[in-house]
Amino acid sequence: MSSPLKNLVESLIFVSQEPLTLERIQAVCEGVPAEDILAAVEAIAADCAGDGRGIQLIRAGGGWLFTTKPAFDREVRRLLQIERKNRLSSAGLETLAAIAYRQPVTQSEVSAIRGVDSTGALKTLLEKKLIKIVGRKKAPGNPLVYRTSDEFLLYLGLDSLDELPSEDEIAKILQEEKAADA
Amino acid sequence: MTEPAPLPLDPAAEPAPVPPLSGDRPDGYQVRLDVFEGPLDLLLFLIRKKKIDIHDIPIAAITRDYLEYLDRKTEISLDREAEFLFIAALLIYIKSQMLLPRETDLAEHEDPRRVLVDRLLEYQKVKAACSLLREREDVRILQWKRDFIPPLPGEGELEPVELSLFDLAESFFLMMKRRAADETRTIRGRDVSVEVKMKELVGLLHEKHMIDFLEYFEAHASLEEALISFFCILELVKSRVAVAVQDELFQTIRVWLRKDARRTVAHE
Repeated sequence: MSSPLKNLVESLIFVSQEPLTLERIQAVCEGVPAEDILAAVEAIAADCAGDGRGIQLIRAGGGWLFTTKPAFDREVRRLLQIERKNRLSSAGLETLAAIAYRQPVTQSEVSAIRGVDSTGALKTLLEKKLIKIVGRKKAPGNPLVYRTSDEFLLYLGLDSLDELPSEDEIAKILQEEKAADA
Repeated sequence: MTEPAPLPLDPAAEPAPVPPLSGDRPDGYQVRLDVFEGPLDLLLFLIRKKKIDIHDIPIAAITRDYLEYLDRKTEISLDREAEFLFIAALLIYIKSQMLLPRETDLAEHEDPRRVLVDRLLEYQKVKAACSLLREREDVRILQWKRDFIPPLPGEGELEPVELSLFDLAESFFLMMKRRAADETRTIRGRDVSVEVKMKELVGLLHEKHMIDFLEYFEAHASLEEALISFFCILELVKSRVAVAVQDELFQTIRVWLRKDARRTVAHE
């Protein structure tokens, strides 16, 4: 598919500073039905998925954005002068998961889930802007309340919090572990 | 030449590399008991190893294993040890509850082990979710997106940090405190409205492209006016019209209009 709309949408996603949502594209392309925009987006994604392009279209944080293809990770990092991209520590990831599933939560609630003091991990996640403070709880000591941020969705390539692994998926993992033990 | 030439000394490599574990202290890593994230992790491991049904844990046996494990490990820090000991105490408490003679049999929901089992189940879920999230991270980490950091006017190689509203508020109150200490004098009354101030501020941002957060406030005569300006800036940052950036921690904060906002604001 090659159409003016497709090219236009591609331009919009290209210049956008954050994942571009359907609503914002619609606001720009007045009167264009959502189906047409979605079809255009799909066509762009299909184009990029082939071997002809070095970038790809991904969906995260409620919108679309262009990223490089994984195959070029090393060279891209060399260009950006990033030695290696650090994955989250297991303590960090565990804390993040606890927050993601139980939000809004306080530090002591997270620590209780993990059985481990999580103050340090929370601080690191805040610095990375993967979580945010959304206020204080009306409880003794008025502890701070945390939530995951938009950056969190983008970091894990999740479209929304609904895309977090579901109870079923988690149960499946646990089943597999059990099977592996048996 | 029998010996290989010594490797050239890279000054950047000095001092000699520290063992990786001790470097992780602030995260509480170095204290982690072998490979376990915490006491619950250790318990789950023991339960799996012994192929025990998590809903029917033989408390005496598991407590013995657990304590044995703690004894084997000598290098635990006090904080971490407390967390492990807390669960040990919980285990022993549960056992004592189970030993108490009772007149009637306990209903299922009164099982003293219930508290622990619920925690273990919840933790187990988080662990499983972690493995799924890690897979996502591994995919995403290889995909690079373009990063838009507004160009700093005449800047070197600083790494600007985009600030949250909390950072802004903190700076503001810090500054007001400093001012309060500086001078005591009568404040003349002058009505300033948020709307007027907001327009003034946006105008100023347009004209100057960038304002220095602290400088801007120090130029204000009254506390009231400074407060109103501050609210305006918070509002502008929140509505993503302006962006607040700090080059380094504890340095001044600079505010400017977002590129995409410049146009829309200009139209208003």
